[in-house]
This record gives sequence, structure tokens and C-alpha cells, in this order.
Amino acid sequence: MEIQKYTRLTLFIALSVVLNLVESVIPFFSGFIPGLKLGLANIVILLVLYVYSMKDALYVSVVRVILVGIIRTGLFSMAFFFSLVGGILSVLTMGIAKKTKLSIIGVSVIGSIFHSIGQILVAIFILNSFNIVYYLPLLILFSIPTGIVVGFITKSLIKYYNRYLEND
Amino acid sequence: MKKVIVVLTVLLIFLIGFLIINHNKYYSRNLFYMDTYIDIKIKAKNKNQADKVLDKVDNIFHEYHMLTDRYNGYIGLINVYEINNTKKKDKSLKIDKKLYDLIDYGLKLKSKTNNLLDINIGYAVDVWKKYREKGEGIPKLSELQSNTNDIVLLENNTIKNNHPNIDLGSITKGYVTKLVGDYLKSEKIEDFIINAGGNVLVGNKTNGYKIGVKSPNDNGIFKVLKANDVAVVTSGSYERYYKYNGKLYHHIIDPVSLFPPNYMKSVTVICKDSSLADSLSTTLFLMSIDDGKEFIKKYQDVNVIWYSNDDKVITTEGISKYE
Amino acid sequence: MNKYDFILIGVVLFVFIGLTIFINFNSKSGNKALVYYDNKLVLEVNLDQKRQFYNVLGYNGNVVILKENGKIRVTEEVSPYHICSKQGFISKTYESIVCLPNKIVIKIEGKSNLDGVIG
Repeated sequence: MEIQKYTRLTLFIALSVVLNLVESVIPFFSGFIPGLKLGLANIVILLVLYVYSMKDALYVSVVRVILVGIIRTGLFSMAFFFSLVGGILSVLTMGIAKKTKLSIIGVSVIGSIFHSIGQILVAIFILNSFNIVYYLPLLILFSIPTGIVVGFITKSLIKYYNRYLEND
Repeated sequence: MKKVIVVLTVLLIFLIGFLIINHNKYYSRNLFYMDTYIDIKIKAKNKNQADKVLDKVDNIFHEYHMLTDRYNGYIGLINVYEINNTKKKDKSLKIDKKLYDLIDYGLKLKSKTNNLLDINIGYAVDVWKKYREKGEGIPKLSELQSNTNDIVLLENNTIKNNHPNIDLGSITKGYVTKLVGDYLKSEKIEDFIINAGGNVLVGNKTNGYKIGVKSPNDNGIFKVLKANDVAVVTSGSYERYYKYNGKLYHHIIDPVSLFPPNYMKSVTVICKDSSLADSLSTTLFLMSIDDGKEFIKKYQDVNVIWYSNDDKVITTEGISKYE
Repeated sequence: MNKYDFILIGVVLFVFIGLTIFINFNSKSGNKALVYYDNKLVLEVNLDQKRQFYNVLGYNGNVVILKENGKIRVTEEVSPYHICSKQGFISKTYESIVCLPNKIVIKIEGKSNLDGVIG
């Protein structure tokens, strides 16, 4: 049982890395505002959070960040720390939000917002400049549609995945 | 129904975000060339476009900086330093077309400006520079005179190798600023402001640019010009100078008398062409205000603000359209 | 998607508007000095009354900057003529300090009705 679960989690990690790479080549979501992303990888994190647990989601998220760091952005680069803190904060807040009356859409929006906040916090710390905070309102605004999109996709995925687990 | 509302909300928020992001923003660049600080601000669609354009602007200034450098040679480049000091024995030197055109432009200015603009004045400029750096004494006329050979441009971008003493300092900034302005327009960038050490060139924007003209006495603004698509160039005695025996000696040398005259504290020229504005401001600075008023009459659509030694502001009539 | 999700989105939109207004309002009160090395923004100073020294690295070495009484100046730097440390304090939005040998530029940012300054 444990082995099966971790095999699946590993597959999810691989999937989230691929989604991250796919996302990085979509031109609209890179280059305009630092940190602005659709957050496709969050689909996987959210799914793991709902199907398994917060601990597992955290595990997938952190390993994903490390892998993306190795493959694309460079380990311990600035982008790496942005994603790491953003990712952890996002999972923790989603875990809390899940316990409230919010649906998966709302939880997804929360995750998206705190991903942005985490990144901005690191940026202020690393760049030692408070200027970067000017991006925050816009990132928060974008969290709504991206969160909703991610939430809807995950919602339907969970339906299929549960059906798959039952048949398994 | 609920789904439709959700989809519409998502689309709407994306649209608002798009509009905020694609709202053209200002991007600026600091450059340090030609012994001045050059400040460029453009309005561009996004950072990628701005970076591309500003890199090219940097290249243009850098290239002219090297070509017109009087104090340094560069490997593989025949620039002003090389022309003035070359050890080559050839009868002529092949130079970059850009430098050839600039020297050609400078030579033609001499007759147009009653000999007040002379790009072969390097020798006297250097002597004055030495005194200015020391901050005391003034050179004798004999020290300033030299028998520098004439600058002779030949066919096919070549120049006669006879060791002239070229100094393009009085024309290059305005000339290159004009080129940069033309380039920005070719890239469809209309809203820009270039400030290259006393040479300002602005593009077009809805309410026009407001350009403050600094008083030569203190840091205050004594006049604000409102305009689109013009160059504003100031020549003044208050930037680089030294005082000796109560008299002020600045860096703009009269090629005829070989001394820096003191007809006024500053002169500002406003016209469409930044290279013309640059050369005219130097020329007008080297003649009395009355002579300048007469001289400027032959130019269409060129306006001038003189700041006299007794702190009076004298302007041409056309200046009112910039107020 | 339930009622609470819509409430959440409403709250987030409200926060967005609030933050935008707050940040824009805040950035316009009082001038700021921006210190550039070449093209890199290396220091941001709020021009308040407090007296404070700053160190930035210029092309020739350390450049010492002093802020007090809403003004800013260069006090020490390595250059042949020390033009920028002789210039003294600046405080108005159109003023700037340029230290060519060190590639250091100090600009004042704030409300200004001028687009450029000459002379």
C-alpha cells in the first residue's frame, strides 16, 4: 500500500515538473511581471492535497521545486528560493483553507495568492528592496482567475482519479 | 448559469489584468559616454521591447563615443585619436563612414557660422584644459596658437593623413542625439526624452513635454518650455570653468580669438533638429547677444533664450509658442 | 463553487483595490532618492529628516552618501576632481548628482510637473 502510494506520488512529481516546463514556454505568462504564472503545477499539488494529505502535498511540492531548480532555473538560484517559499506557503495555507467551508475553487485561489505573497517576501529579503511590493496587488488580482482555472481542472481530475482508484 | 458567470468572471479579470500589464510604461537607461551622463526614457509596450531598443541606443552612443574619442585609441578602429596622432606613414587614412560624415558635417558648419565653429581646434582646447585643471593662470596667445594642418576629406571615406587636431566635442552630442531620435521613431517609439549633457530631445505625447531651463546662477528653473518633437540645447559658462583674478574662464573657446568669451551666462536654442540646435547654441554663445539676434534671423523656426551677464532673460519672439 | 468562494473572491478584490490605493498613495508622499551604479539601482533612500550615511560601491571604490533634512549629497568618493562631492545637497525632483568617474547617478523621484531639465 505504502509503496503504491509513493510510486503514485513520484508520478505526480514528474507530472508537476512537466507542467512547470510547459508553462515556462507559454509566452504570456513569463516576462511581463516577475512571478506571474498560471500555476499549472498547482493542479497536481491540489489533487494530492485532496486525495492524500497535506504532508504528501508538501512533499510533492518541495521535491518539484528542487527538480525544477536542477532542470531549469538552477539550484539555489533566486528563482529557486522564490518557488520554494511560495510553494511551501501555498501548501500550508491550502491545507488550512481545506478545513473551512470553502470549496476546492476557493482553496485553489488561496493557494495561488499565498504563492505570490511567499515569492514577494523572499524577493524583498533577497533583493533587499521594498520596491518589489508594488507587484503584489497585481499578482493578487491574477490569483483569482488562475486559482479558479486551476481549481476547476483539479475538481474534474479528482473525479476521474477517484473513479480510477475504485476500479483499481 | 453559474458556470457561465464563473467563466465570464475569469475572462473579465484576465482582461483587466492584461490591460494593466500592457499599459505602456516608461523605461529608462543611464549611459556614460562622451564625457557626459546620458539619460534616456522611453515609453514602450513591455520590458522586452524596451530592452531591445535601449540596447541599440546604447550601441549607437557607444560607437560614436569610440569614434570621436580624442584621448584613447581602440584596437582595430581609426578614430579621432588615431587621426590626430597616428604613426602610420600612409598618405591617407580610411575611416568609418559614420565618422567621415560627422567630420564632413563639422567642416561645413565653419562657413555657416562665421568661422565660430571649428572642429580643428583641438590644440587650443587641450592647452585650456591644462590650465582649467590647474585652476590658475591663463595661457598667452602664443601658447594657444599652433600650425595645425587643415582637415582634408578625400573621396571614398578617406581623410588626408596630415595630423590635424580634430575635436568634435561641440557637435557630436547633438548629432548623435538626432540619430537616436530618428532610430526611436523608426521603432515606432513616439514618447521619449533624451538628455545628453545639455542636449535634450523629446518625442511626442498628448500634453507635450515640460522642460525646465536651469538658471546659470543657482539650481532654480527660470523658464519652463512646453513642446513636442523639439530639441533644446543649452551652452553655458557655468558648467566647466575656473576663476582667475576675478575673471571666469570656461570651456567654450572662440576659434578666432582662441579665448573663451564672456558675452552671456548661457544661451538655449530650441528647434526640431538636435544637431542644428547643438551647433547653434555653441555659435551663439561665441557672439554678442545683439549679433546673435541678427545671426539667428536667417534660420526658420529656431528660437533662442539668452541669459545675459546682468541676469536678464532675452528671447526671440517665437518662444511664446512654447509657453 | 459555493457561496463562501464568492465571498473569498470579493474579499480578495477588495484587498487588491485597497493595496493599490495604499501603495500609490504612499509612494507619492515625500521624495525618494534613487542611487544608480551604471544601470543598476543600488540604493533607495526616503528623504526624511533623519541624518544617515550610506555606502555604495562606485567604479573607483566606495562612495559615501549623506541624507539629512530631506536632502541628499555625496560626501566622499574617489575621483580626480570631486565634482559630485563638491556639488552639495540636492532635494528637488529635477535635480541630480552625477559622478561620471564612478558611474554613480543620484536622481530624486517624486511628484514633478517637469519632464526634463536643461542647463
